[in-house]
Amino acid sequence: MSNWLNGAVARAESVSDWLAPKRQASLALLREAQWPTRKTEAWKYIPINVWDRTELQSDAVEVNAVAESIEGLNSIDLVFVNGELTSDLNDELPAGLSIVSLADASADAQSWAAETFASVKPSRHLFGLVNDVLATQGVLIDVAAEAVIEQPIRIVNVLTQDSEAHTRVLVRLGQNAKASVVEQFCGNQRSKNTGFAEYKVGESARLEHYRFALQTGESLSIGGSHFELATRAELNSTLVGFGSTLQRVDVDVTHAGEHAFAKLNAIYLLDGKELFDLHSTIEHAVPHGTTEENVRGIVADNSRAVFNGRIHIHRDAQKTLAELNNRNLLMSDRAEIDTKPELEIYADDVRCAHGATIAEIDKTALYYLQSRGVSRSQAQIMLNFGFINELVDEMPNDVLAEWLRPQLRDRFAAMEVK
Amino acid sequence: MTEQIEKALQREYEAGFVSDIESDTFEPGLNEDIIRRISAMKEEPEWMLEWRLKAYRSWLEMDEPEWAHVHYPEIDFQSISYYSAPKSMKDKPKSLDEVDPELLKTYEKLGIPLHEQMMLAGVAVDAVFDSVSVVTTFRDKLEEAGVIFCPISEAVHKYPELVKKYLGSVVPQRDNYYAALNCAVFTDGSFVYIPKGTKCPMELSTYFRINEQNTGQFERTLIIADEGSHVSYLEGCTAPQRDENQLHAAVVELVALDDAEIKYSTVQNWYPGDENGKGGIYNFVTKRGICHTNAKISWTQVETGSAVTWKYPSCILKGDNSIGEFYSVALTRGAQQADTGTKMIHLGKNTKSTIISKGISAGKSNNSYRGLVRMNPGAAGARNFTQCDSLLIGDKCGAHTFPYVESRNPTAIVEHEATTSKVSDDQMFLCQQRGLDPEKAVSMIVNGFCKEVFKELPMEFAVEAGKLLEISLEGSVG
Repeated sequence: MSNWLNGAVARAESVSDWLAPKRQASLALLREAQWPTRKTEAWKYIPINVWDRTELQSDAVEVNAVAESIEGLNSIDLVFVNGELTSDLNDELPAGLSIVSLADASADAQSWAAETFASVKPSRHLFGLVNDVLATQGVLIDVAAEAVIEQPIRIVNVLTQDSEAHTRVLVRLGQNAKASVVEQFCGNQRSKNTGFAEYKVGESARLEHYRFALQTGESLSIGGSHFELATRAELNSTLVGFGSTLQRVDVDVTHAGEHAFAKLNAIYLLDGKELFDLHSTIEHAVPHGTTEENVRGIVADNSRAVFNGRIHIHRDAQKTLAELNNRNLLMSDRAEIDTKPELEIYADDVRCAHGATIAEIDKTALYYLQSRGVSRSQAQIMLNFGFINELVDEMPNDVLAEWLRPQLRDRFAAMEVK
Repeated sequence: MTEQIEKALQREYEAGFVSDIESDTFEPGLNEDIIRRISAMKEEPEWMLEWRLKAYRSWLEMDEPEWAHVHYPEIDFQSISYYSAPKSMKDKPKSLDEVDPELLKTYEKLGIPLHEQMMLAGVAVDAVFDSVSVVTTFRDKLEEAGVIFCPISEAVHKYPELVKKYLGSVVPQRDNYYAALNCAVFTDGSFVYIPKGTKCPMELSTYFRINEQNTGQFERTLIIADEGSHVSYLEGCTAPQRDENQLHAAVVELVALDDAEIKYSTVQNWYPGDENGKGGIYNFVTKRGICHTNAKISWTQVETGSAVTWKYPSCILKGDNSIGEFYSVALTRGAQQADTGTKMIHLGKNTKSTIISKGISAGKSNNSYRGLVRMNPGAAGARNFTQCDSLLIGDKCGAHTFPYVESRNPTAIVEHEATTSKVSDDQMFLCQQRGLDPEKAVSMIVNGFCKEVFKELPMEFAVEAGKLLEISLEGSVG
């Protein structure tokens, strides 16, 4: 057992609010839970002990951090600094959209949120349970049926030196609703946080989702985005991850209604001694679902990337189409990639495929560019960019893509062979 | 449509008879005394007994693996008898004429006649019956070429240096739960040594038969191919049809020294249990080979039997430029469960591996591919290609893929792809429209699906494999 987890359980016992019954259930599971070791399949490649070992100085927390807005995005910003919501929620919101803080939710919001809380996120995620019992801060976002919200909703988590934060996001999209939600994480100093989000996407609703897990440096972050899709619902999700001392993201998509469509794109770019671990699970519980998942990563220097992509097709999920593709570039002989695309199929009339590749940058392409007078490092940046730009191009929001590109370019520039 | 397909895949288990042979069988149970008795029966030297006991002591501390995608009731290791041999074998018959005719009849019935003149020319057979090797054919001819092919219990006496040097060198005693058990209680198996620069003049083959009730079979095979040599080895197995489950926990170790090549083919046809999962063999096998510089090991397996299969023939590509191959067809039907695949561990430079796995699931069965491809930091320029295809027949079965890919060298290239499909109505329609009956059509489609693997099998085996899947090979040409 871990000291940290024991402490967390002790702290959780004093948490009491309108989510108490749900929290108690998770607490019971957490008390029984085993701290992961190298033999725990879900943590096979990532040394979780660093979470336990890292000591935070509780008196050193600095709170004067701000999150920069994204130019041209015109988003509704909800900013958490070290787990405290600093944005004012009294601003006028577009019709059909309601956003309340978890801490002071109205009775109405409480009723749907209590139902959603811990119902979309599977209970197998240990740190999801931790978030269940400790996240007293968060937001509840409700998009009414038929409402089309043009303004993206951006939730930013800023972590500063020695902070520990647990935040929760619950989102509900009514029938035919449309919305775009951005989850953004930043900070590069020693800190620990868990950030979990649960989305219930209603019938024929469309959700555009982004998770920018851009914490770097000494930060330790574990989180997840979890989706439940009703009949004909559509999800378009893009995840971008940089590594840090410990970064772990779990994505779960459950096709609960027929004819739902999920498109998941993910990119990870690692440098230095960074770690990044992405686990995705797609549950096809009903027939006629479609999933397209594309994951690409570039891993440089001494870093390590882990990808585990599971597609589970239940007995009744006939006529499912599911494809998963994971491509990786390994840039250095000290870097490591561990990938495991899994298929678990119990229905016969389905079309499923997965593929995974690991290779280095194409030497002939590099040579070609150099022979045209491009410097080696420039050529490398160009080729790396080309490798992942396809997924950046597929982001439905151009403003976000434009905002992301220079950050990626800076990463590539730092990554060149040292 | 599915019904027709399922009917086409159904077949009787032809090897399910019991031979009426008097046996000396140990009472069930496992402890150090039993191990001492096994060792005494084999008149083993002291070092061999110590080796067994060491393995047994580590086994006691180990846990049964639970990660495989298979479910079965807990095995009671104390209810199994660890040694059983036909009484007639006690006097160690010197030649085939002295062997109990009933034993020979068993093999004849299985289509493996042991009289050399009756056999297919060019295949030497070691026939293992329960815990002992009955006979090894063509030994003289092999000796002329310098090839050693004998029961491993004999090799312990005759070639202790080789056995000491290589036994447990590829699969160590503590490797895994079942391997440790095997190290403690193994009874017989084959030993092969191919001298430097020799191409083995004929195919070598071992046929394993479980006959006695409530026994387990724990055989051990060790093949050493010295520098520049070449050998092709075949393995077959069957067991009677019984309502109880029987355990088969074997270990196979292959050593391919510099420039050597070993081709190891298996047609696994243990009794699979009935449609509802009653009876059948638990096949928990550890197979691994090590390739030195420029060496090559090729595993080909056709898995149609066993109630539960847990088997991962693997290659450690230690030497530069060495090659590992794994070709597999696994067919599960009824209530069978298979969790099988391979590990390719790339250590040397420019090592290459190919994995082709075809899984066919029918009935209520579950068929999983589980594999590992690891590129270690030293595996510069290494290359792997993996293809796993699954075919589902019916909506009550399952097909799963769990590939682990780990790379720590930027110049290594790893490619993995997997697909899942079913025998489509379109394919069936096309075949039937051309005048093929549904059974033929299924055979043809399934056979086409497996073709890449069948073409790797030696001739005789390819025919057997085809028969096992009720497939006529001729239909698929072109």
